[in-house]
Amino acid sequence: MVIDKDINEQIKWAQINADVLRSMENPRKAYWITFFVCIAMVACAVVAEVYQYQTGIGVTNLNNPHMWGMYISTFVFWIGMSHSGTLLSAILHIIHADWRKPIYRFAEAMTTFSLLTAGFFPLIHLGRIWNFYWVVPYVSSRGIWPNFRSPLSWDAFAISTYLSASMLFLFIGMIPDLAICRDNAKGFKKKLYGTLSLGWVGSDRQWRHFRKTYLLMACFLIPLAVSVHSIVSSDFAMSIMPGWHVTSFPPYFVAGALYSGCAAIITLFIMLRYFFRFEEYMTLAIMEKTCKLTFAIAMVWTYLNLIEFAATWYGHDPYAKEVLISKAIGPYAWIFWTMIFCGSVVPFALAIQSWRRHMPTMFVVSLLLNVSMYFERWMIVAPTLSMSMEPHQFYIMYASVVQWAIVFGSFGWFGLLFLVFVKVFPSVSMYEVKEMVFHRRRLINEEAEATHHRRTGDTSGLTQPA
Amino acid sequence: MSLKNVFENWSTYRKGAEEGGYHTYEHRWTMAVNLDLCIGCNACSTACYAENNLAVVGEKRFAKGQAMHWMRIERYWDEEGKDHPENGASFLPMMCQQCGAATCEPVCPVAATYHTPDGLNAQVYNRCIGSRYCSNNCPFRVRYFNFYSYYETSWPEPLNLQLNPDLTVRDKGVMEKCTFCVQRIRVAKDKAKMENRKLQEGEFTTACAQACPTTAIVFGDTMNPDSKVGKLWQQHQVKRHVYKQTKEDPQLRGYRIFEELNVDPSVMYLDRVRDTTI
Amino acid sequence: MIGKMKRRDFLKALGLGGTATLVGCDLPTTVTLEEGKEDVVSYLLPEEYAIPGIAVWYASTCTQCTAGCGIHGRVREGRVLKIEGNPEAPINVGKTCQMGQAGLQGHYNPDRITAPMVREGGRLVPTTWEKAQALLSEKVGAKSTLNADRVAWFTGTLSGHQRALVNNHLDAVGSKLHFAHEVVNANVWQAVSRDMLDDPMPRIRLDKAKLILSFGADFLATWVSPVHFAGQYSKFRTAADRGALIQVESKMSMTGGSADLWVAIRPGTEGALALGLANYLVANGVNAAALTAEVRDKIAAYDVQKVAGITGIATAQIERIGKALKARSPSVVLAGASVEGQAQGYESVAAIMLLNVLLGNIGTTIEPSGKFPFPQLEAKSGGTGDLLAFTKAVEQKQLDVVFFYGANPLYSAPAALKLDEQINNIPFKVVLAQFPDETAMHADLVLPVSSYLEDWGTHVAAYQPEQNQMGVQQPLMQKLYGDTRGFGDVVVSLLALRNTAQWGAFTDSYGYLKNVFATMKAGVGAGALSNDEFWNNSLQTGMVKVDAPARKHTLKPVVPNVATNAPDAGFPYYLVPSPRMGLFDGRHANLPWLQESPDQIAKVVWDSWAEIHPSTADKLGIAHGDVIKVESEHGALEVKAYLIKGIHPDAISIPLGQGHTEYGRYAKNRGVNPLKILKRITDAKTGELAMYATRVKVSKTGKQDVIIRLGHSDTQHGRRLARTVSVDVLKRTKGA
Repeated sequence: MVIDKDINEQIKWAQINADVLRSMENPRKAYWITFFVCIAMVACAVVAEVYQYQTGIGVTNLNNPHMWGMYISTFVFWIGMSHSGTLLSAILHIIHADWRKPIYRFAEAMTTFSLLTAGFFPLIHLGRIWNFYWVVPYVSSRGIWPNFRSPLSWDAFAISTYLSASMLFLFIGMIPDLAICRDNAKGFKKKLYGTLSLGWVGSDRQWRHFRKTYLLMACFLIPLAVSVHSIVSSDFAMSIMPGWHVTSFPPYFVAGALYSGCAAIITLFIMLRYFFRFEEYMTLAIMEKTCKLTFAIAMVWTYLNLIEFAATWYGHDPYAKEVLISKAIGPYAWIFWTMIFCGSVVPFALAIQSWRRHMPTMFVVSLLLNVSMYFERWMIVAPTLSMSMEPHQFYIMYASVVQWAIVFGSFGWFGLLFLVFVKVFPSVSMYEVKEMVFHRRRLINEEAEATHHRRTGDTSGLTQPA
Repeated sequence: MSLKNVFENWSTYRKGAEEGGYHTYEHRWTMAVNLDLCIGCNACSTACYAENNLAVVGEKRFAKGQAMHWMRIERYWDEEGKDHPENGASFLPMMCQQCGAATCEPVCPVAATYHTPDGLNAQVYNRCIGSRYCSNNCPFRVRYFNFYSYYETSWPEPLNLQLNPDLTVRDKGVMEKCTFCVQRIRVAKDKAKMENRKLQEGEFTTACAQACPTTAIVFGDTMNPDSKVGKLWQQHQVKRHVYKQTKEDPQLRGYRIFEELNVDPSVMYLDRVRDTTI
Repeated sequence: MIGKMKRRDFLKALGLGGTATLVGCDLPTTVTLEEGKEDVVSYLLPEEYAIPGIAVWYASTCTQCTAGCGIHGRVREGRVLKIEGNPEAPINVGKTCQMGQAGLQGHYNPDRITAPMVREGGRLVPTTWEKAQALLSEKVGAKSTLNADRVAWFTGTLSGHQRALVNNHLDAVGSKLHFAHEVVNANVWQAVSRDMLDDPMPRIRLDKAKLILSFGADFLATWVSPVHFAGQYSKFRTAADRGALIQVESKMSMTGGSADLWVAIRPGTEGALALGLANYLVANGVNAAALTAEVRDKIAAYDVQKVAGITGIATAQIERIGKALKARSPSVVLAGASVEGQAQGYESVAAIMLLNVLLGNIGTTIEPSGKFPFPQLEAKSGGTGDLLAFTKAVEQKQLDVVFFYGANPLYSAPAALKLDEQINNIPFKVVLAQFPDETAMHADLVLPVSSYLEDWGTHVAAYQPEQNQMGVQQPLMQKLYGDTRGFGDVVVSLLALRNTAQWGAFTDSYGYLKNVFATMKAGVGAGALSNDEFWNNSLQTGMVKVDAPARKHTLKPVVPNVATNAPDAGFPYYLVPSPRMGLFDGRHANLPWLQESPDQIAKVVWDSWAEIHPSTADKLGIAHGDVIKVESEHGALEVKAYLIKGIHPDAISIPLGQGHTEYGRYAKNRGVNPLKILKRITDAKTGELAMYATRVKVSKTGKQDVIIRLGHSDTQHGRRLARTVSVDVLKRTKGA
């Protein structure tokens, strides 16, 4: 068994600053290739959306009974994706799992950006996107309110709340790092980081308030994250459609969300490690821990899947049972079985140590897990629509190029936001890594502790030669 | 739905369909469809196209499943392994059932579909933003979406001159469905009001019921004791606000489709009859 | 409003509203009309009977098929918006079929011909009425050198004063050639009725029957008077003792879909089954005294075993039908197009009519019709015999001038008749057309006629219910296109060309009709009314009710020499070119509502398809949606296969209606026309084309296509949406 450390505790603080700040300067060429690919993907979606806006939703091939399609499944996918950031930054923060520290920043960014991506889909999918704001309860002379009974209006509240909270959380957590950036930047950048760091000087009072706020935000965010995906699940669970009307949907959705988020973290972990040469911070040990966490969540998800099947099977709703059977043997069977295989069998790769230390393998595995998660969302949306109560309207929908382009483009959009973020902001939390290094060092070397006992965020290290 | 409604009438508002819901009805527009008389001829459906400005979507869009037939005649076989369908076909005219506890209503995020004091599930085209949740939550799948600006191709001049001015031509992005010819209801109610009298049975009917060559479709107001449809419901002992009928004579032919879902449909069907004694 | 005609005058011409139903909200504020500004038409200054926002209903008559239903047109702001049945019309009692509903789309069709066209240098070019009139004057005017016998009219079923006008015109030119052509007809049934009962169109009282045995008579959709029969069917089904329907046919028609017992029969063997049933009935004690010895001998030759072999129906099944016929009296036995359209069609229909005689239905459910007091107005029922006669005349170059109206022979004539190639044997073809159909596009002169909602006319349907009636058709709105003319107007002007002294006084058919109404007043028992009262009454009710003395049925049993077709190894299947309610014989293929309205049985829209039994398909390796080649001696059609159990394994059915090569945007180049590959087989007795006798072979093309249809499931997945109970339940619940 390989025993290694979460982080090299001998690493110099100045080294940390330099490494992270360097990531904002000169990434590998692959970064720029990915960046332009993302722009091209977004362009595809923009063209498709303009066409759809002009012509009507019909160009997506949506139909009666398939009133919802890939837009909604992609929406659920992105919402799910957003949960991992909260898991890493808030939940693991509260339970003091400090190995999260080098990777939580980009996970948190992922939360925000996947929400920003997800938020597009309910809008794109609207027949009359120009009236989207009607779901918001604003005071108007007409005295008309949205329908508070509709899960879709809950969605609007839940997502906007979660988005603003997670953005705030991301920002607050970044303040000390922004100050480091400020101190190392020149010209326009100095101004930018100066403004954003809100006058952070690392004083004792500032740290005290910062810690409290951060903890408070974390506590606030956890129930929010759980509720958001529960509410998204109620888009389905609140209906009376067979296969949607499932009581276990909220936990099932949350588990699926964490699952896809963790898988995405593995993917991005590997990418960032490569792009920014973060081998020192995004260590294999942390990778292993992330993999173990993902594996555990995969098993929870599998369990909840079985619960859902069993509940349907032993329930007395013949329609739901027929939908379940059609999932396994109907037109979407190949998607269903791919989902089961990639979601419940492939994660066993995470249980094998030599595999999870092999980055290319993990990259593929993490992508497969997310394929499964995407298919899971499709399997939630589509079979019920194609086979609900009314047999006359049993029909399947083949998504048109427009639908594919917009879904495809959403990945580009997410990638673009993420790439811009990691280039503009420190994607590894410097002060927290220092904290982590400090604590590890102390555990190993009491002596070193005595020498280096300084508060994290101390910028004096910068004066040392790199 | 308004906030006032939510705050002031919450206790009645959340009442289930079993007790008749929170509504105080003025009329209860209802239908009875005798499947033994339905010959599947499509007269109702075409009459509906003519009355309600339904768009003709054309071959390609029809193939995609984007047609707009508010009233469709479903045809089923039940030959069960025989060489030929010996008992003919089963025709089922399917239109919006104007449910008393409609599943489309609570899910609309902007309350574009709501319950009228006439017991109809009204659809406010102007309010609709096209989330299509109502259609997804309709067990009968009778809500049709304007996937395109159908008017651009449906009524080349001078076909547009035929459009019924009593109701709108819908643009892309809104949901629509059978309204029980609400424009006819409106006109008849206004007329009765102007003449300071109650609405009479038989004063008007829906386009489908009016066209139906075999009178399989009967339309009326069950709150009017004279109404033919009310008598039919009584005769067949089909009650509202229940999800399971308790008939004195369980062999009576009246039934409501998907009644067990507790959606309280306003359309009663009468069993198709086949003479197996031949 | 167009032109100088004042709205008030126009509405006067309409008879001031039929059974006017004034509906709507508050009356709009009336603004005093300024002196001298009467020509200004504004919604702010409404004329008396055109109140913006308020609809008025006018009565008229439907011409979408030949049944002659009475209709009400809803008129608002000068436009007709909706058609409903006229509750006072005895034929349809306030009901309509989908074709009647879709009449509006014929009227407002975007592909209407709006100006006369003349052939110049091989192409049709727009012209003016003056020039067209001059051309007509040259060809068929008083000074023309035409040869009287070489002028002909080719029309659909024509009745009322349109027929009278055409007859007048033929008289004026000295010709007798009036060809009436309808693809969907009941001419053989009429011939048999005439020969056996001395009544060409006996009344059928479905409402009195306890059992209907229909041999391919699609009486709810396309046979004779569907809306009338649907109304009767409603009574038949809701009677205390619910009537039962047995449908015997080789392809399930719409009526077959409602049958209690549907029996698939080998095409062309219906006559044998009828005789077999007669045999069973006689053997089981039904009194055959009404039949002659010769007929009884004939019946004796068809024992049930033999008939089972011929028809492919199990003995038990035949006995089941026989038993029902015996037990349930009165019954009515009908024969439809698929029986008529055989080489021995007449004989088969006669055999079927014999069942009515044997069962004593004559006089109970088959009643004598009334004798219409104006024989010159009775319908000249079109058929396919006239098409054959016409083709022959064309082939032999016997015609110089032909006027076409209401028929489209270039679409409906089978390729075997070679009409397309020979049509130019007629030097001068005048087509009075509303749409650019196949025939119009081959014309030398196209005269645009008004739609039936803009025109005057009277209609006497061939099938008359208990109360005889003459439907009155009146314009429900001003002409959409000023350059179209009513059919009557055109014929009156043609007549004026020949005989100015008599016809020059009428500027249009309105004047003519008003005149003749004054003269026929007494004949319909309205002598007490003034001319205007009678005219206005007729317009308001949309009909003239006529008391017609009942005929007397005199039984003249015909010996049915039923024969069956020999098998044909090269072409093993029968082609069933089935008409459907909707597109009908193809005349409604340009109406988008009907194109988008699914076929009642197959549920296909916008397209053609070939129905084929799964067992046959299995044998040929054909799957649902495969493009197959259906080939007769006279051509082949490529069409999608539709596997359906409601068809005999020996039959391939392609519905009528599609396959137009012209006829506007909605119809052109869509689907296939099965009429094109029909063989020239005629019914021996009547000379009608045996439309159902063509044999075909079927092969795969290797192509696959999607069948565009309504609905995606043929079964209910056990969900019992449309539930079925046995008739016992109905009886136990006393009909409820």
